[in-house]
Amino acid sequence: MNFKRRILVSAMALAMAGALPSLAAAADTIAIITPSHDNPFFKAEADGAAAKAKELGYETMVLVHDDDANKQSQLFDSAIAAKVKAIVLDNAGADASVAAVQKAKDAGIPSFLIDREITASGVAVSQIVSNNYQGAQLGAEEFVKLLGEKGEYAELLGKESDTNAGIRSQGYHDVIDQYPDMKMVAQQTANWSQTEAYTVMESMLQANPGIKGVISGNDTMAMGAWAALEAAGRTDVIVVGFDGSNDVRDSIAKGGIKATVLQPAYSQAQMAVEQADKFLKTGSTGLEEKQLMDCILINADNASKLETFALN
Amino acid sequence: MKRILLTVACLAAGFGPSACKIVKTDSVEGKAPAADASGDDARIQNLLTETWEPKLLPTIRDKAVPVADLRAAIAGGLDAAGKAHGKAGSGAGAAWNFAVKGQGKVIEAKLDSRARTMGIDTDNDGAADVTLQLGPVVKGSALRDYSPFYDFTNFRDQIEFAKLGRALNDKATAGLTIEGDPTGKTASFTGVFAIRSATEAWLVTPISVEVAP
Repeated sequence: MNFKRRILVSAMALAMAGALPSLAAAADTIAIITPSHDNPFFKAEADGAAAKAKELGYETMVLVHDDDANKQSQLFDSAIAAKVKAIVLDNAGADASVAAVQKAKDAGIPSFLIDREITASGVAVSQIVSNNYQGAQLGAEEFVKLLGEKGEYAELLGKESDTNAGIRSQGYHDVIDQYPDMKMVAQQTANWSQTEAYTVMESMLQANPGIKGVISGNDTMAMGAWAALEAAGRTDVIVVGFDGSNDVRDSIAKGGIKATVLQPAYSQAQMAVEQADKFLKTGSTGLEEKQLMDCILINADNASKLETFALN
Repeated sequence: MKRILLTVACLAAGFGPSACKIVKTDSVEGKAPAADASGDDARIQNLLTETWEPKLLPTIRDKAVPVADLRAAIAGGLDAAGKAHGKAGSGAGAAWNFAVKGQGKVIEAKLDSRARTMGIDTDNDGAADVTLQLGPVVKGSALRDYSPFYDFTNFRDQIEFAKLGRALNDKATAGLTIEGDPTGKTASFTGVFAIRSATEAWLVTPISVEVAP
């Protein structure tokens, strides 16, 4: 291990002797910074990145910013102070994160972004972005098909401060609004929360008993909505989620929720580490900075192949 | 609520489903569009003017591979066929985008949907092997992703990039009318499609479709 690491270090030192002198020596550590692991999606990211980093001979420094840009900034300071070689980041805000990534760049530490993008290019080395818009369109197409292109439906929105909430909603509506017989009768945020979605769904159902479908900005809210529908004896209502969680997979298998959209969190994080490794060794990833990674529709046909945000 | 959204979408596209009014905004002519989302529609409109007729259509027409040749190439391995004839999306397992041209008998036509389609038999075995998307709802973003001159890095975010994909799809199928029942007639087409595996069905976004009378 030590021997291997030393070879890596000298290879890198050679490779970067001219270009990036500030990156010399120190331990070969990659910092992996994501939102809270309470959401299994972000845990899958961190696990995927850490596994690939170990495989490639790096130490890891795994941190969570809890979607707090200030905390993220402090974590970047820690990572810079620890002289990490690279940072893999699922960021805490498209605008607010630019400064943190710039700070690392100024210290000679390249950042590789996953899942969410930032509003500037040329600051991070890679931005491997989940194509939330494309994924939302897949979910909406399935939703419309399941409803026979017509009927009353409700939408559960994610947390307003998270750009993905808006992107997904827009992707849904760009498809659904092209069907004149699809009528949205309720639209409300449940802040990505399962318990909040349960309450919101209860009141939506009371106000709009004619609802035939519910399209949700993520899987945890879809689970909450489904629980409320079950409690009300309304298992005829079509529910579609987003993320590809194991919970929704199990619900699909039981004929509950009908579909979700997988963001390949695990493999995306692994790609980021591979690109970091290549960049550290050769000075280039050989790829465009911003890379859109497509999402995959999950329904009864393929749900059984889904495990921890990866299709096997 | 929904009606408002629909109107906004139509305004946004500036063209699109024939039921929508075409509204020109000042920013299309003269002033540079705003960099934030409010300028998206104007910027995309400009980009379409610069690329649709001058670059995109000629590229697809020039590079479209005859159906039979492309099918043979893909049967020999999707990645090899993709490298020779296609353009890859980014990311592991990303789709390959191909331009294709061909003709065949219309086996089935689904024209009562908002996502109208026609199934074409291009190899005379009696079964549809290519599905043409006729709009107004068009799935995917093959027109955008096939084109080498649209680079995601140059777009503010995926919303703006997605708006381009939608605008291209709308442009492709705008004014596409199929009169009567085309079933049994011969259709010729040129278009693009995306597949992730060699066995995936071809769902083609056409830049031209002609049904022989």
